[in-house]
Amino acid sequence: MPLFSRRAVLASLAGFGAVSALPRAGHAAPQPILTRPIPKSGEMIPAIGLGTWIVFNVGRDAALRAQRFEVMRTFFEMGGGMIDSSPMYGSAEDVIGDGLKRATISGGLFSATKVWIWGRARGVKQMEDSRRLWGVRRFDLMQVHNMVDWEAHLETLLADKAAGRIRYVGVTTSHGERHETVIKAMETGSLDFVQFSYNVADREAERRLLPIAAERKLAVIANRPFRTGDLIERVARHPLPAWAGEIDCANWAQFLLKFIVSHPAVTCAIPATSRADHAAENMGALRGRLPDESFRRRMIRYVEDL
Amino acid sequence: MSPARLLSFSPEAFFALFETYNRAVWPAPVAAYALGLAALALVFKPMPGAGRIVAAILAAMWAWNGIAYHLIYFAEINFIAPAFAALFVLQAALFAWAGAIRGALVFRFRPDFAGWTGLALALFALAGYPLLGEFAGHDWPRMAVFGIAPCPTTIFTLGLLSLVEGRARLYLLAIPLLWALIGGSAAWLLRMPEDLTLLLAALAVGGAMWADLRRAKT
Repeated sequence: MPLFSRRAVLASLAGFGAVSALPRAGHAAPQPILTRPIPKSGEMIPAIGLGTWIVFNVGRDAALRAQRFEVMRTFFEMGGGMIDSSPMYGSAEDVIGDGLKRATISGGLFSATKVWIWGRARGVKQMEDSRRLWGVRRFDLMQVHNMVDWEAHLETLLADKAAGRIRYVGVTTSHGERHETVIKAMETGSLDFVQFSYNVADREAERRLLPIAAERKLAVIANRPFRTGDLIERVARHPLPAWAGEIDCANWAQFLLKFIVSHPAVTCAIPATSRADHAAENMGALRGRLPDESFRRRMIRYVEDL
Repeated sequence: MSPARLLSFSPEAFFALFETYNRAVWPAPVAAYALGLAALALVFKPMPGAGRIVAAILAAMWAWNGIAYHLIYFAEINFIAPAFAALFVLQAALFAWAGAIRGALVFRFRPDFAGWTGLALALFALAGYPLLGEFAGHDWPRMAVFGIAPCPTTIFTLGLLSLVEGRARLYLLAIPLLWALIGGSAAWLLRMPEDLTLLLAALAVGGAMWADLRRAKT
């Protein structure tokens, strides 16, 4: 169960900033979107990002690339900022780069990728490849993926940050694995971001990772918000409870995402989708009210009882 | 959990890759079928050097699959594909060395369990596999094609290895059997029922080899 207090939640909600959002015709009327501060800099970023695992790995296929571009366009039109990827995701970085050349980025891209290889020198080469594929001069966030050779890469990342080649440094894990190693990295004091799995059904992170992140002032990216689709498939067999309207949820995606981003230590959730209409549903979670602690408990109970 | 989510790519991307690949390498499938039929003909009508030619055909197919399919195309969406490419090129080298260079392989049909099994598998790879794929909704160009895609090529290879005269060459069987397990998982991971036949082929060939070894001992 959540360990934070109502005061912490309310303080956190107050920390949500409003940035001007500018959806085009066809989407919801313009209204402020939910943003969260990166603790170490105070920079505000939208609380919903875009994950790319599996769904952006579409190779050279022009039709599939066009569909993913529509996802990116919807994401940016509805106020999105952070796109997260990895060299592990096959052609995903190339597909993102392709989309970025064509997309109109209204709120500002927050580019986040990872280094995922053994060996410091090979890591440098891999990150250079990622820059070329994305077509960006520098990444906003570079993370060590799944803690692979993390101590060697962390030295590179800190040097890159000092030289202005990246803006933030992070580490990642997923599926509830490697938490002890992640905690060791978090305690080095040199990280800005940490990424791990967190959703209404997988709340192990509430026990140690989220409190340590809050204490160390680390931004938190929550991956697998829908358990790679399995969670949303499971809940979608049931009607959305009427009381979800009290926090302005129109669908299950928003219900699940608002649960995640209402945790005071979470900065951003990164749902992945191959469909523009689903991206629009996800981005809807950036608007309206968020649950407080008692409401979050109600959400947990409801999902557990399904 | 949906089994497809254990992979780093979706079934949609996998079949789109086949379309891109098949169109790009056309008319390689025609050449592959011609070579496959030629190899089968040489099994029935042995002539001097036939074993070397059949081995060279198998070596060419495995090298093509390793380099063209795995390394150039599949690696785009699957980070493990370069390792698969290495396995396939190694198998090509084994066929080239043992069969094409040393001439140690004689492929000949014989009317026993191993012979009928081998013939059935070879014919299935050429004709049955694509038909089964068609029934499963995987039609041209979004399909695995004989000779240029790993799974039907592996079934064909297992069939021909059942027709090798003399003792079973386990070192030639190891990689095809390993691929039968890996590729056979596609039946579940990528909803390709036609790839279930890889596992059946491995069982059939394994059974035939075991029977051969028992016979040799007694």
